[in-house]
Amino acid sequence: MSAPETLAIEPLQTHGLPPSRWSPRHWPTGLRLGAALGLALLCASALLPVVLSVDPMVTDLGRRLAAPGQQGFILGSDQLGRDILARILAGLSWSLAVAGTATALAALIGVVLGLLAADRPGLLRTLINQLVDMVLSFPGLVIAIVVIAVLGHGFWPLVLTLGVLSWPVFARVVYAEARSVLAQDYVLAARLLGTSRMRVLLGHVLPGLTPSLMVMLAFHFADMMIAESALSFLGVGAPLGTASLGNMLSESRQYLFVAPYMMLLPAAAIVLAVVAANLIGDGLAAADRRGRPSAHDGGDKT
Amino acid sequence: MKGLASTLLRRVASLLLLLVVLTTLLFFLLRVTADQALVLAGPEASAEQVAAIRSQYGLDRPLLTQYVAYLGDLVRLDFGTSIISGQPAIGEVRARIWATVALAIAGMMATIAISIPLGAWLGARPHTGGRRTLAAFVFLLQGTPGFVVALLLVQLFAVQLKWLPFMGYGSFATWIMPTLTLASFLAPKLTRVVAANVNSALAEDHIRTARANGAPFTEIYWRHALPNALLGATALIGTQFAFLLSGSVITEMIFGWPGIGTLLIRSIQSADFAVVQAVTIAIAIMVFVVNALTDASFRVLDPRLRRAGS
Repeated sequence: MSAPETLAIEPLQTHGLPPSRWSPRHWPTGLRLGAALGLALLCASALLPVVLSVDPMVTDLGRRLAAPGQQGFILGSDQLGRDILARILAGLSWSLAVAGTATALAALIGVVLGLLAADRPGLLRTLINQLVDMVLSFPGLVIAIVVIAVLGHGFWPLVLTLGVLSWPVFARVVYAEARSVLAQDYVLAARLLGTSRMRVLLGHVLPGLTPSLMVMLAFHFADMMIAESALSFLGVGAPLGTASLGNMLSESRQYLFVAPYMMLLPAAAIVLAVVAANLIGDGLAAADRRGRPSAHDGGDKT
Repeated sequence: MKGLASTLLRRVASLLLLLVVLTTLLFFLLRVTADQALVLAGPEASAEQVAAIRSQYGLDRPLLTQYVAYLGDLVRLDFGTSIISGQPAIGEVRARIWATVALAIAGMMATIAISIPLGAWLGARPHTGGRRTLAAFVFLLQGTPGFVVALLLVQLFAVQLKWLPFMGYGSFATWIMPTLTLASFLAPKLTRVVAANVNSALAEDHIRTARANGAPFTEIYWRHALPNALLGATALIGTQFAFLLSGSVITEMIFGWPGIGTLLIRSIQSADFAVVQAVTIAIAIMVFVVNALTDASFRVLDPRLRRAGS
């Protein structure tokens, strides 16, 4: 943000970081913090269940609504006597899987259509841009609720809905950035050398977009986490009974007085995961800005 | 002015296209989700009763015929009749839309009242101790989904402190938690954008020149940096308001707010398709109008665009 301005001639590669900036030693503090937090959550959701070996679905009505630390439950038990820690870990891996797959799907559709629109002026570009505008102005939640009512509950309906409704975010940015890269001399040079269109797009344009793509991936992942938990909270996301953070929060509403920890603990898990993704996104954006020659082209001016 | 007229025309055309696609999509998707005749007849109805209801409501016609009839009604601004209340669907929407709009306005006003002073303050000197802590808190709040904030507010103000009612719509106290919930998921973003804009505006060449010429910091800040930063925030405020009109469904549900969000969820659950479609169309039109107004206000506020547009 406050990087000194230079009047240097722009280096050939205007987007992207010099390779050394990718090494963790050059990472901004926020990025390190986010990466550490994210890694910790991933490891916890993957490894802790093995260590604890408690089934998140096993009910025990004799030991229901135990407070954290009591009756042998580390983080307490819910209204059916299920272990809250085990359920949070299972819910976390469910949310991470849904959000990760949905983000990948949205990025895939968005990158392909964004590159196509940037490369092919004319009818195709008009069509794609119209589609982007249209999907962006869809009332997303409404469509999501209806689509999930049609396709049923489960992993893939949820991933498809989230991905198909959210790809325009990627398409827009990829389109704008790809057009500016396509106007660069080195792309022209590659074209004059007879490089095929496909290779120009994948080999010369796409690498230039990597930094912005990584920032978008991180933020999009955070958005997908929130959307997944919101849909599950409404009862149109994860199948009922599944250990998912949204379902847990929705169940906790009946026990506001007796067991506030039933709400506070899954809420904390969601917040931690989203904050980790946001920290990574912010950090990558800062690293990207630092790598660029001018102080004026970055920043989240909206 | 000619440019403005053609822009407006193009926008209206794209709104119509959106509405056609949206209603078509909804019409067919909704009819796959549930059989209205079964819902109307109730769980204990015999096959003859269901068949009678089907022919009474015209549900025995081919789907395509029903669709054409529906489109014909829409053109005449007839949105159909609610199968639950027997009232016109448009009336159901009209009775509840103001609660949603009023809540969105309250949420937006709270967001602006919090974010602009806070962002301006944070952006002026971002690297000092107290501001850093506050910025970290804003960051944390940005990572908190709206419905989690709502649950936390309920837990704090209604369960523990017993200051506010759990839900409802009426007295001033019922407005506090829904408004705060909406503000909590918009304010962090706006605060951060205002702060970033103020900060980068202060790094611009003309500001540096003014400072080098000896202009006091406060004057530079109030007369040059802040107006530029707020201009950049206008677009976001518009987008956020448009989002509130369609995105407050969960907030409305948690607090039992009698707006179109709760109406939408209830209608989907009870297969009241006419109402679902009417609500969706209403939301799409409102979002469109807000976005168009945002663009227009941008033109008025930014002298560069005004010159370019004429």
